Amino acid sequence: NSPAPLPERAIYGFALFLGSWFGFILYLIWAYIPETWLFSLGLTYWPQKYWAVALPVYLLVAVGIGYILLFGINMMSTAPLDSTHTITDNFAKKQQQKKFQEEAIPALRDIPISEVNRMFFLPEK
Amino acid sequence: MAEERRFRSASGVPITLRRRQHSASCRELAVRGPRLQLRSLSAATSAVWLAAYGLFALSENSMVLSAAIFITLIGLIIYLHFVKIDQESLLVIGSLGIQVTSSYASGKESTIFIEMGQVKDVVINEAIHMQKVIYYLCILLQDPEDPQGVSEVVPLFQSSKPRLDCLIEVYKSCQEILEQRKTVPQSN
Repeated sequence: NSPAPLPERAIYGFALFLGSWFGFILYLIWAYIPETWLFSLGLTYWPQKYWAVALPVYLLVAVGIGYILLFGINMMSTAPLDSTHTITDNFAKKQQQKKFQEEAIPALRDIPISEVNRMFFLPEK
Repeated sequence: MAEERRFRSASGVPITLRRRQHSASCRELAVRGPRLQLRSLSAATSAVWLAAYGLFALSENSMVLSAAIFITLIGLIIYLHFVKIDQESLLVIGSLGIQVTSSYASGKESTIFIEMGQVKDVVINEAIHMQKVIYYLCILLQDPEDPQGVSEVVPLFQSSKPRLDCLIEVYKSCQEILEQRKTVPQSN
Protein backbone atom coordinates (compact mmCIF):
# COMPACT_ATOMS: atom_id res chain seq x y z
CA ASN A 1 0.00 0.00 0.00
CA SER A 2 2.80 2.44 -0.81
CA PRO A 3 1.98 5.91 -2.12
CA ALA A 4 4.35 5.48 -5.10
CA PRO A 5 3.13 6.48 -8.56
CA LEU A 6 1.76 3.53 -10.56
CA PRO A 7 0.44 3.37 -14.15
CA GLU A 8 -3.10 2.54 -12.91
CA ARG A 9 -3.06 5.53 -10.62
CA ALA A 10 -1.96 7.80 -13.48
CA ILE A 11 -4.85 6.56 -15.63
CA TYR A 12 -7.40 7.04 -12.79
CA GLY A 13 -6.05 10.51 -12.16
CA PHE A 14 -6.29 11.55 -15.80
CA ALA A 15 -9.82 10.11 -16.17
CA LEU A 16 -10.89 12.04 -13.04
CA PHE A 17 -9.27 15.21 -14.42
CA LEU A 18 -11.10 14.94 -17.76
CA GLY A 19 -14.36 14.03 -16.03
CA SER A 20 -14.26 16.99 -13.67
CA TRP A 21 -13.45 19.41 -16.54
CA PHE A 22 -16.34 17.95 -18.55
CA GLY A 23 -18.69 18.30 -15.59
CA PHE A 24 -17.63 21.91 -15.04
CA ILE A 25 -18.12 22.90 -18.72
CA LEU A 26 -21.53 21.17 -18.67
CA TYR A 27 -22.53 23.12 -15.55
CA LEU A 28 -21.45 26.42 -17.17
CA ILE A 29 -23.40 25.64 -20.36
CA TRP A 30 -26.51 24.76 -18.35
CA ALA A 31 -26.28 27.86 -16.15
CA TYR A 32 -25.44 30.52 -18.73
CA ILE A 33 -26.90 29.55 -22.14
CA PRO A 34 -30.51 30.83 -22.47
CA GLU A 35 -33.25 28.18 -22.50
CA THR A 36 -34.46 29.10 -26.01
CA TRP A 37 -31.06 28.31 -27.54
CA LEU A 38 -30.99 24.92 -25.77
CA PHE A 39 -34.54 24.16 -26.95
CA SER A 40 -33.59 25.01 -30.52
CA LEU A 41 -30.79 22.46 -30.31
CA GLY A 42 -33.34 19.84 -29.19
CA LEU A 43 -32.13 19.58 -25.56
CA THR A 44 -35.40 20.15 -23.68
CA TYR A 45 -35.23 17.91 -20.60
CA TRP A 46 -32.92 19.90 -18.29
CA PRO A 47 -33.54 20.80 -14.62
CA GLN A 48 -34.72 24.31 -13.81
CA LYS A 49 -32.00 26.95 -13.87
CA TYR A 50 -33.01 27.87 -10.32
CA TRP A 51 -30.91 24.92 -9.17
CA ALA A 52 -27.76 26.28 -10.83
CA VAL A 53 -27.69 28.88 -8.05
CA ALA A 54 -29.47 26.96 -5.30
CA LEU A 55 -27.19 23.91 -5.20
CA PRO A 56 -23.93 25.80 -4.57
CA VAL A 57 -25.65 27.84 -1.86
CA TYR A 58 -26.99 24.67 -0.21
CA LEU A 59 -23.49 23.17 -0.33
CA LEU A 60 -21.78 26.16 1.29
CA VAL A 61 -24.41 26.48 4.03
CA ALA A 62 -24.06 22.73 4.72
CA VAL A 63 -20.27 23.12 5.07
CA GLY A 64 -20.75 26.02 7.49
CA ILE A 65 -23.28 24.11 9.59
CA GLY A 66 -20.99 21.07 9.47
CA TYR A 67 -18.31 22.93 11.42
CA ILE A 68 -20.74 23.74 14.22
CA LEU A 69 -22.34 20.28 14.06
CA LEU A 70 -18.98 18.52 14.37
CA PHE A 71 -18.05 20.66 17.38
CA GLY A 72 -21.40 19.82 18.98
CA ILE A 73 -21.08 16.08 18.32
CA ASN A 74 -17.63 16.13 19.88
CA MET A 75 -18.92 17.83 22.99
CA MET A 76 -21.83 15.40 23.27
CA SER A 77 -19.65 12.31 23.05
CA THR A 78 -17.20 13.50 25.72
CA ALA A 79 -17.75 11.43 28.84
CA PRO A 80 -19.30 13.48 31.71
CA LEU A 81 -17.24 14.00 34.85
CA ASP A 82 -19.22 11.42 36.83
CA SER A 83 -18.91 8.49 34.42
CA THR A 84 -16.60 5.52 34.95
CA HIS A 85 -15.32 5.90 31.39
CA THR A 86 -12.90 8.56 32.68
CA ILE A 87 -11.29 5.93 34.93
CA THR A 88 -11.32 2.68 33.03
CA ASP A 89 -12.83 0.85 30.06
CA ASN A 90 -13.69 -2.68 28.93
CA PHE A 91 -10.18 -3.54 27.79
CA ALA A 92 -8.63 -2.48 31.09
CA LYS A 93 -11.18 -4.43 33.12
CA LYS A 94 -10.48 -7.67 31.25
CA GLN A 95 -6.70 -7.37 31.09
CA GLN A 96 -4.65 -10.34 32.25
CA GLN A 97 -1.80 -10.03 34.69
CA LYS A 98 1.39 -11.58 33.34
CA LYS A 99 3.75 -13.14 35.88
CA PHE A 100 6.73 -11.00 36.82
CA GLN A 101 9.98 -12.39 35.27
CA GLU A 102 13.46 -11.41 36.38
CA GLU A 103 15.65 -9.55 33.85
CA ALA A 104 12.67 -9.05 31.49
CA ILE A 105 10.86 -5.86 30.56
CA PRO A 106 7.54 -5.86 32.49
CA ALA A 107 4.45 -6.41 30.34
CA LEU A 108 2.45 -3.34 29.34
CA ARG A 109 -0.69 -2.90 31.41
CA ASP A 110 -3.20 -0.30 32.53
CA ILE A 111 -2.23 0.93 36.01
CA PRO A 112 -5.19 1.59 38.34
CA ILE A 113 -5.82 5.24 39.10
CA SER A 114 -5.30 4.83 42.87
CA GLU A 115 -1.74 3.64 42.29
CA VAL A 116 -1.02 6.47 39.86
CA ASN A 117 -2.34 9.03 42.34
CA ARG A 118 -0.25 7.64 45.17
CA MET A 119 2.87 7.81 43.03
CA PHE A 120 2.24 11.36 41.88
CA PHE A 121 0.82 13.10 44.90
CA LEU A 122 2.00 11.31 48.02
CA PRO A 123 5.70 11.98 48.58
CA GLU A 124 7.82 8.87 49.09
CA LYS A 125 9.49 8.88 52.48
CA MET B 1 -7.34 22.89 65.15
CA ALA B 2 -8.34 24.99 62.11
CA GLU B 3 -6.19 26.15 59.22
CA GLU B 4 -7.09 28.43 56.31
CA ARG B 5 -5.21 28.85 53.03
CA ARG B 6 -5.86 30.84 49.87
CA PHE B 7 -5.91 29.23 46.45
CA ARG B 8 -7.33 29.87 42.98
CA SER B 9 -10.07 28.07 41.13
CA ALA B 10 -9.76 26.72 37.60
CA SER B 11 -11.23 29.95 36.22
CA GLY B 12 -8.95 32.18 38.31
CA VAL B 13 -11.28 33.40 41.08
CA PRO B 14 -9.75 33.32 44.59
CA ILE B 15 -11.04 30.56 46.89
CA THR B 16 -10.07 29.55 50.43
CA LEU B 17 -9.56 26.07 51.81
CA ARG B 18 -10.32 25.59 55.51
CA ARG B 19 -9.03 22.45 57.19
CA ARG B 20 -10.20 21.32 60.61
CA GLN B 21 -9.06 18.21 62.41
CA HIS B 22 -11.70 17.11 64.86
CA SER B 23 -9.86 13.98 65.98
CA ALA B 24 -7.30 11.47 64.73
CA SER B 25 -9.78 9.88 62.34
CA CYS B 26 -12.09 12.81 61.55
CA ARG B 27 -11.31 15.72 59.26
CA GLU B 28 -13.37 18.50 57.72
CA LEU B 29 -12.25 20.31 54.57
CA ALA B 30 -14.27 23.28 53.31
CA VAL B 31 -13.73 25.19 50.07
CA ARG B 32 -15.32 28.63 50.10
CA GLY B 33 -15.87 30.64 46.93
CA PRO B 34 -16.22 34.42 46.59
CA ARG B 35 -19.47 36.08 47.75
CA LEU B 36 -21.87 37.65 45.27
CA GLN B 37 -20.24 40.95 44.29
CA LEU B 38 -22.26 44.17 44.49
CA ARG B 39 -20.80 45.45 41.22
CA SER B 40 -21.84 42.39 39.18
CA LEU B 41 -25.30 42.46 40.75
CA SER B 42 -25.80 46.17 39.95
CA ALA B 43 -24.36 45.69 36.45
CA ALA B 44 -26.83 42.89 35.68
CA THR B 45 -29.78 44.80 37.18
CA SER B 46 -28.96 48.02 35.30
CA ALA B 47 -28.53 46.12 32.03
CA VAL B 48 -31.94 44.45 32.37
CA TRP B 49 -33.65 47.70 33.39
CA LEU B 50 -32.04 49.74 30.60
CA ALA B 51 -33.15 47.13 28.06
CA ALA B 52 -36.67 47.22 29.50
CA TYR B 53 -36.70 51.02 29.37
CA GLY B 54 -35.58 50.87 25.74
CA LEU B 55 -38.42 48.47 24.94
CA PHE B 56 -40.84 50.76 26.78
CA ALA B 57 -39.64 53.75 24.74
CA LEU B 58 -40.26 51.77 21.54
CA SER B 59 -43.58 50.16 22.43
CA GLU B 60 -45.19 52.66 24.91
CA ASN B 61 -46.40 49.70 26.95
CA SER B 62 -45.85 50.21 30.68
CA MET B 63 -46.24 46.49 31.44
CA VAL B 64 -42.66 46.06 30.15
CA LEU B 65 -41.27 48.02 33.10
CA SER B 66 -43.18 46.10 35.78
CA ALA B 67 -42.29 42.83 34.03
CA ALA B 68 -38.61 43.81 34.14
CA ILE B 69 -38.75 44.51 37.88
CA PHE B 70 -40.53 41.19 38.46
CA ILE B 71 -38.03 39.27 36.34
CA THR B 72 -35.07 40.84 38.15
CA LEU B 73 -36.42 39.96 41.58
CA ILE B 74 -37.46 36.40 40.71
CA GLY B 75 -34.20 35.85 38.83
CA LEU B 76 -32.12 37.00 41.79
CA ILE B 77 -34.00 34.72 44.19
CA ILE B 78 -33.66 31.71 41.88
CA TYR B 79 -29.96 32.42 41.36
CA LEU B 80 -29.22 32.68 45.07
CA HIS B 81 -31.24 29.61 45.97
CA PHE B 82 -30.39 27.18 43.18
CA VAL B 83 -27.21 28.33 41.43
CA LYS B 84 -24.77 30.25 43.62
CA ILE B 85 -22.85 27.84 45.84
CA ASP B 86 -20.91 29.60 48.61
CA GLN B 87 -19.17 26.72 50.32
CA GLU B 88 -18.56 23.07 49.58
CA SER B 89 -17.31 20.94 52.43
CA LEU B 90 -16.07 17.41 52.88
CA LEU B 91 -16.32 15.65 56.25
CA VAL B 92 -14.31 12.44 56.42
CA ILE B 93 -14.96 10.23 59.45
CA GLY B 94 -12.61 7.25 59.41
CA SER B 95 -14.87 4.45 60.52
CA LEU B 96 -18.20 5.88 59.44
CA GLY B 97 -18.14 7.51 56.00
CA ILE B 98 -17.80 10.67 53.98
CA GLN B 99 -20.29 13.53 53.95
CA VAL B 100 -20.35 16.11 51.15
CA THR B 101 -22.23 19.37 51.83
CA SER B 102 -23.00 22.24 49.44
CA SER B 103 -24.21 25.51 50.98
CA TYR B 104 -26.05 27.90 48.69
CA ALA B 105 -26.03 31.70 49.03
CA SER B 106 -29.65 31.73 50.26
CA GLY B 107 -28.70 29.45 53.18
CA LYS B 108 -29.92 26.20 51.67
CA GLU B 109 -27.67 23.20 52.30
CA SER B 110 -27.73 19.94 50.43
CA THR B 111 -25.76 16.96 51.76
CA ILE B 112 -24.79 13.53 50.51
CA PHE B 113 -23.50 10.82 52.84
CA ILE B 114 -21.50 7.84 51.59
CA GLU B 115 -20.72 5.11 54.11
CA MET B 116 -17.14 3.87 54.36
CA GLY B 117 -17.97 0.35 53.17
CA GLN B 118 -18.90 1.74 49.76
CA VAL B 119 -15.86 4.00 49.39
CA LYS B 120 -13.07 2.44 47.36
CA ASP B 121 -10.77 5.46 47.19
CA VAL B 122 -10.60 9.24 46.87
CA VAL B 123 -8.52 10.19 43.82
CA ILE B 124 -7.61 13.20 41.68
CA ASN B 125 -8.82 12.48 38.17
CA GLU B 126 -8.32 14.55 35.02
CA ALA B 127 -11.04 14.79 32.41
CA ILE B 128 -12.17 16.95 29.53
CA HIS B 129 -14.75 19.53 30.63
CA MET B 130 -16.14 21.86 27.89
CA GLN B 131 -13.00 22.88 26.04
CA LYS B 132 -10.49 22.40 28.88
CA VAL B 133 -8.84 19.51 30.70
CA ILE B 134 -9.35 19.94 34.44
CA TYR B 135 -8.22 18.12 37.56
CA TYR B 136 -11.02 17.25 39.94
CA LEU B 137 -11.29 15.25 43.12
CA CYS B 138 -13.67 12.32 43.08
CA ILE B 139 -14.80 9.47 45.33
CA LEU B 140 -14.67 6.02 43.72
CA LEU B 141 -17.44 3.74 44.92
CA GLN B 142 -16.91 0.03 45.25
CA ASP B 143 -18.65 -2.50 43.04
CA PRO B 144 -20.25 -5.08 45.35
CA GLU B 145 -19.62 -7.98 42.92
CA ASP B 146 -16.12 -7.09 41.77
CA PRO B 147 -13.71 -5.94 44.51
CA GLN B 148 -11.31 -4.44 41.95
CA GLY B 149 -13.95 -2.61 39.96
CA VAL B 150 -15.41 0.87 40.30
CA SER B 151 -19.17 1.09 40.18
CA GLU B 152 -19.62 4.85 40.38
CA VAL B 153 -17.64 8.07 40.38
CA VAL B 154 -18.80 10.97 42.59
CA PRO B 155 -17.09 14.23 41.58
CA LEU B 156 -16.46 16.72 44.43
CA PHE B 157 -16.12 20.52 44.52
CA GLN B 158 -17.95 20.88 41.22
CA SER B 159 -18.84 24.54 41.45
CA SER B 160 -15.66 25.94 43.00
CA LYS B 161 -13.32 23.76 40.85
CA PRO B 162 -10.07 24.24 42.77
CA ARG B 163 -6.73 23.93 41.01
CA LEU B 164 -4.24 21.12 41.46
CA ASP B 165 -2.37 22.63 44.44
CA CYS B 166 -5.55 22.85 46.51
CA LEU B 167 -6.64 19.39 45.37
CA ILE B 168 -3.34 17.86 46.44
CA GLU B 169 -3.83 19.25 49.95
CA VAL B 170 -7.32 17.80 50.18
CA TYR B 171 -6.10 14.50 48.68
CA LYS B 172 -3.32 14.13 51.23
CA SER B 173 -5.69 14.84 54.13
CA CYS B 174 -8.21 12.29 52.86
CA GLN B 175 -5.56 9.63 52.23
CA GLU B 176 -4.22 9.94 55.78
CA ILE B 177 -7.62 8.91 57.07
CA LEU B 178 -8.34 6.30 54.40
CA GLU B 179 -5.01 4.59 55.04
CA GLN B 180 -6.14 3.89 58.60
CA ARG B 181 -8.80 1.62 57.15
CA LYS B 182 -6.22 -0.91 56.03
CA THR B 183 -4.30 -1.04 59.30
CA VAL B 184 -7.44 -1.23 61.45
CA PRO B 185 -9.52 -4.15 60.15
CA GLN B 186 -13.15 -3.29 59.63
CA SER B 187 -15.78 -5.30 61.46
CA ASN B 188 -18.37 -5.77 58.66
